[in-house]
Amino acid sequence: MNTPTIYRDLLLEHARHPKNSGRLESPDLQASAFNPLCGDELELTLSLSAGTIQDCKTQVRGCSICQASASMMSEMILAKTLKDAAKTSQIFTESLSKEAEEIPESLELLRPLIALKTHRSRIKCMKLAWDALEDCARQNET
Amino acid sequence: MQNFPLTVKAREDFPLLKRKIHGHPLAYLDNAATTQKPNCVIDALVRFYENHNSNVSRGVYTLAEEATEIYEEGRESVAKFIGANDSGKIIFTRGTTESINLVAAAWAQPKLKTDERILVTEMEHHSNLVPWQMVAQKAGAELVYWPITPETGSSDGGRLDLQKLDELLADSVKRKRSFRLLAVSAVSNVLGTVNPIAEIIELAHARGVPVLVDAAQAVARMPIDVSGWDCDFLAFSGHKIYGPTGIGVLYAKNERLEEMLPFQGGGGMIRQVGRQTSTWADAPQKFEAGTPPVAEVSGLAAAIKYLRNFGMQEIQRHEYELTTHALKRFAEFEDLELYGPPETIERCGVVSFNLRNVHPHDVAQVLDESGIAVRAGHHCTQVLHKRFGIAASVRMSFGLYNEIPEIDRLFSALDQAREIFLK
Repeated sequence: MNTPTIYRDLLLEHARHPKNSGRLESPDLQASAFNPLCGDELELTLSLSAGTIQDCKTQVRGCSICQASASMMSEMILAKTLKDAAKTSQIFTESLSKEAEEIPESLELLRPLIALKTHRSRIKCMKLAWDALEDCARQNET
Repeated sequence: MQNFPLTVKAREDFPLLKRKIHGHPLAYLDNAATTQKPNCVIDALVRFYENHNSNVSRGVYTLAEEATEIYEEGRESVAKFIGANDSGKIIFTRGTTESINLVAAAWAQPKLKTDERILVTEMEHHSNLVPWQMVAQKAGAELVYWPITPETGSSDGGRLDLQKLDELLADSVKRKRSFRLLAVSAVSNVLGTVNPIAEIIELAHARGVPVLVDAAQAVARMPIDVSGWDCDFLAFSGHKIYGPTGIGVLYAKNERLEEMLPFQGGGGMIRQVGRQTSTWADAPQKFEAGTPPVAEVSGLAAAIKYLRNFGMQEIQRHEYELTTHALKRFAEFEDLELYGPPETIERCGVVSFNLRNVHPHDVAQVLDESGIAVRAGHHCTQVLHKRFGIAASVRMSFGLYNEIPEIDRLFSALDQAREIFLK
């Protein structure tokens, strides 16, 4: 891929050895996300304690970018409140827009993904796990 | 190396093929999605807007008459191209999808009864599947699948079995649950399988079942003969035969045309409009409400003329050689899973595969780095992909300008995908 090798290696490391992969047995929240363009799918399961994410797992059937994004997300959101995690997701979405120039400090971990944003066809791959996260946040509000 | 006089002649005609992608010459291998446009098609569009632009069938001034003539001549050239004996059976639409939706809404929906069924195949594109699901659901009717033969990669896998069709048809007669329609593609947009359309239609007609042929993939790849096939409906798109986007064709035979209700209401499709009710124009105008795509029709006619200059048989032979080469190369690699029949017989220039343990998106992205354009995804055939137990695949599909070295470049570039994702 047309990205600095260090980013590529980071992404591939996550894709090959995804963190928090699988499914929680009795999750408090669960959401699936689907990419209609390629048929990829992802399931996010979360356990909460007083609004804070205690544990999370993602079950991914997707490409390397989708898998890496899910893995990075799981590392970032653990021990955060679901509200804050959803906020991070929104900031991530903003940073993927064509106009966004700076990468916010809070998203430093996601730099290897954001570096790929010129490949607009892959945005949905990057976002799939985060879409499921935002879905969970919405469920928790209602 | 094979001698490809066709390619040598053709490549120069396509300005886009001169582009470089990431510093490499473009190898455009996504012709099943859409084809590139030759100069003559681009010129036809420009010529229309520069010299003849006006609305059709409405004015008596010179420009309006010219535009009408261009539009109706386009209809004539389409009729000749697909073997229709009368241009009155040619309806212009926005594309294959709209053509099929037109049949669904104007013919199938009003006729379909709860105890009837619609027969489709497992290899259909969503455009020849979803409209039938919608029609069936509305009527409370059943959608039945004609399964494809299993075991892709084996010589009899990924095909339609005529014996099975005969069984399905006989069973429906026995159960008194008749098929209102069989909707089938002439060529699979994933497997490249060329279906025996003439035999299929003969079998279906013997049981009184009308047949719609989705010719979206076939029409740029082989001669089409609606009269010889005796199909009831045939649909295709201009952009897949080197013509413009936004123009499609629906052919319907006379009996079906007479049965069809109007599709959309508006200008051009009426005979007389009263305050409460209206009467309809004759076909094909009855099905062409609103200002038609005149420029696009002039571009489509230019594309058809371009194809006829080469000859469809010549184009078919060219694709056959490319496909044979691609299939031969597949046999060299253990880690490539090929879908559909492994021999060129009953196949055309659409070849889908997976590199084991690498996601098709990742493969396609690495190929793009080498200037090779292929499609990755489910290619609008989720039912077919599920049948194979996969979510997605990589597809290369050939056009008349492709050459063997481009295919070889793809196989070499796959090494980079192996290097990145499997090292």
